[in-house]
Amino acid sequence: MRNFNILIGGEAGQGLVSVSNLLIRAITKEGWYLFAQQDYMSRIRGGHNFVRLRLADQPVYCCERGVDLLVALDQVTIDLHHEELNQNGVVIADGQSSPGENFDLISISFAEIAKKQGQPPIMANAVAAGAIWAFLADNLSAIELVLAETFGDKGDEVVQGNIKCAQAGFNLAREGRTLTHPAKPLEPPEVMILKGNDALPTGALAAGLKFMSAYPMTPATGVTEFIAAHSERLSVVMEQAEDEIAAINMAIGAAYAGVRAMTATSGGGFALMTEALGLAGSAEIPVVVINAQRPGPSTGLPTRTEQGDLLFAVYGGSGDYPKAVLAPGDVEEAFYLMGTAFNLADQFQTPVIVLSDQHLADSYQTVKPLDPAKISIDRGNLITDAGPEYKRYQYTDSGVSPRLLPGFGSGGLVVSAGDEHDEEGHLIEDAETRIKMMEKRMRKLDGMKTAALAPVTYGVQEEPEYILIGFGSTKGAVREAVDLLIGKGIPSLQVHLPQVYPLPDKLRQIWNLPGRKIIVENNYVGQLEKLIGAELAAAPDGHVRKYDGRPFAPQDIVEQLLGGGGR
Amino acid sequence: MTEKRFTVSRETAWCPGCGNFGIINSLSQALDNLGLDPKDVLFVSGIGQAGKTPHYIKGNVLNTLHGRTLPTATGAKIANQELTVIAMGGDGDGYAEGGNHFLHALRKNVDITYIVHNNQVFGLTKGQASPSSDLGMITGTTPRGVSYESFNPLAVAITLNAGFVARGYAGDQEHLSKVLQAAIQYPGFALVDVLQPCVTFNKVNTYQWYRARVYDLNQDPDYNPHDRKMAWERSWEWGEEIPIGIFYQVERATLSEHIPALENGPLVKQPLVSPYLGEVLAQFK
Ligand SMILES: Cc1ncc(C[n+]2csc(CCOP(=O)(O)OP(=O)(O)O)c2C)c(N)n1
Ligand code: SF4
Repeated sequence: MRNFNILIGGEAGQGLVSVSNLLIRAITKEGWYLFAQQDYMSRIRGGHNFVRLRLADQPVYCCERGVDLLVALDQVTIDLHHEELNQNGVVIADGQSSPGENFDLISISFAEIAKKQGQPPIMANAVAAGAIWAFLADNLSAIELVLAETFGDKGDEVVQGNIKCAQAGFNLAREGRTLTHPAKPLEPPEVMILKGNDALPTGALAAGLKFMSAYPMTPATGVTEFIAAHSERLSVVMEQAEDEIAAINMAIGAAYAGVRAMTATSGGGFALMTEALGLAGSAEIPVVVINAQRPGPSTGLPTRTEQGDLLFAVYGGSGDYPKAVLAPGDVEEAFYLMGTAFNLADQFQTPVIVLSDQHLADSYQTVKPLDPAKISIDRGNLITDAGPEYKRYQYTDSGVSPRLLPGFGSGGLVVSAGDEHDEEGHLIEDAETRIKMMEKRMRKLDGMKTAALAPVTYGVQEEPEYILIGFGSTKGAVREAVDLLIGKGIPSLQVHLPQVYPLPDKLRQIWNLPGRKIIVENNYVGQLEKLIGAELAAAPDGHVRKYDGRPFAPQDIVEQLLGGGGR
Repeated sequence: MTEKRFTVSRETAWCPGCGNFGIINSLSQALDNLGLDPKDVLFVSGIGQAGKTPHYIKGNVLNTLHGRTLPTATGAKIANQELTVIAMGGDGDGYAEGGNHFLHALRKNVDITYIVHNNQVFGLTKGQASPSSDLGMITGTTPRGVSYESFNPLAVAITLNAGFVARGYAGDQEHLSKVLQAAIQYPGFALVDVLQPCVTFNKVNTYQWYRARVYDLNQDPDYNPHDRKMAWERSWEWGEEIPIGIFYQVERATLSEHIPALENGPLVKQPLVSPYLGEVLAQFK
């Protein structure tokens, strides 16, 4: 595989997002595979933000270390990142920057060039994109296409102005240089380009989401705004709630009334939701909660990534009740798992938690075109008619009772309660009914275990030396770490868990394989390791962890593994 | 005599003489008078003695968490506008634990009726002070007497321009059922704060105490419930004279009217997946 890594850095508000969004789409149009990772601070102006773009002639699953083209919108970007430059790495700096010692530096004052073209300073972004494009292709057609798509509704003048600026940047960067361009796939792949915070809500819509309520919290807000933006056209409701407690309770109310409903939040907001999750557990109301994790505790690092809410998602809350916790590892899985989430919620009449994190939420990836037809909708034991004898919590072998919706049926009433109740849903306090109802609810967990998603494996199945086990957004980095290990002659296998609760029994079988089991996770205490220990009584031979708020690069994993012997 | 469709005979967890009996009787009466079918009515409640009410009346029930009555009722109403949604709970539930939701429900104007069984104490937890306890009331948590200003739900509701603001008295069922009927018919958020004697824990605001004080403000020919300023001023009357009745009523667009998706009928009856989903996916190409 041949890669080209671009890092664009600058202050918040300097146009970084515009430039990178433009490039992300143009790179995809031009036919490369792409992974783009965003690193931004919790502020609106100033500071240091950057985006990594990794384009390649084969599918890529994460970003890696090393930079081929460093684009600095400020001096800080050069100071912080010049050491990451690969051999022959080039820096494009906006305006006057101190010349580098070991690298080729191209100085272009983006805003000034825009002005020279008779265009407003905002078109400095197009100049920058044009200059970067000089390193990727020998013509600007993809950039022109994207500019036309982006600014088409602002009129031809704006489009042409932007194209002029891009052309000027492109010409300046090429001046006096012979540039070789990164290798492209032989055939331009048929792909989509999107980030986790696009895939999750789109998956939800494909799964029949009709109601969402949420209170904004980074990095989950993208999901909320996405649904809001499409709500009118797709006839879906998105209600901004007064707090996370209201958000989940509204979703529970809507779900009780019969629609597919969800909410999305991050750690602190998720903490506020735990009492209501118990309500959904007790009253057996299907509701889906996306927790886009950020590093905790407390407000933590609002714009960074971590996998520190795993045990909280699995065990958090008062009392015992069945639930499922899913952990999509990439954009594609995020889309399809939303279908699984809503189906599990309906089939088992329980809350389902989808663990995302900032890395998944904000990273763009080229993926095979997503196919909504592959998301089938199963609403479980939903009945359309019942008479006055109907009992919402009828005891059954599976623990799942036929579910009537309020207002439907011929006289059947839907009585639901979070307080302990009898088969009819009315309040009880006697021990006998309590035991029966508790056992009915918990029996659902048996079915959920059987239905649990199997681990996804990649790499060497026969006699692996290392087995790297992970969940959620480490999927891409672990996969590429396995490739690096195999490249070093070390047969290795990846075991990725798209579902972390209940854990699939198949995970236990991994322990029958030879090889060192290493658990890779982005948290301090080793939450997946503890979970596997508690649920499957299995212990790994080592682990790879980090808790710096940043995603893994494959090299991080290999270094920790081989450097420290995996401990 | 209308048929009593909402009445059920189930043993309650309430003390004999509790004001909750007056409220449930008035409510059943109001619903019967409106000719509603229990299967089309949803009672949403929180936790407390008042929160148990839905279990003693016929209809669909969503008995939720302490304080979370209003957001849950809001979600249910948005999902199925065809349901008549009646939210109910105690003053602790609505004004303490659920205080933030109360403020925002007033702003949103979702089309539900909210009945607060206001006994000015926490009944279920055995008699602690509530936000609406009178100054000086001695309870288990306030041995030196309540020192905080009493929460005035009516004044707050009128301040936030809630569409329908009323007060009833559990000891006057005929009046209460009329007020409840008007509240249920009102298109929008209707608050009915009900003075509810708690015979066990509130030895101050008793039946006797109320009987000597309450009067129907809508009998006053000079009173205009469409006059917000007048309503707000009257909402502060408390002591020798205590007004009950409809304090304030105006027309306001309901939450549903602001939600485009609900123009296509009840959400729960709409197709799950929109034919326009393809447009969403196309933007990633
Ligand atoms: C989160 C939470 N906090 C506290 C309680 C305990 N609790 C139950 S009811 C109640 C207050 C009851 O007062 P009120 O809401 O006025 O209802 P009443 O019993 O007087 O009808 C409290 C504090 C609870 N169930 N849940
Ligand atoms: S404690 Fe008070 S409010 Fe509760 S049932 Fe008894 S009298 Fe009614």
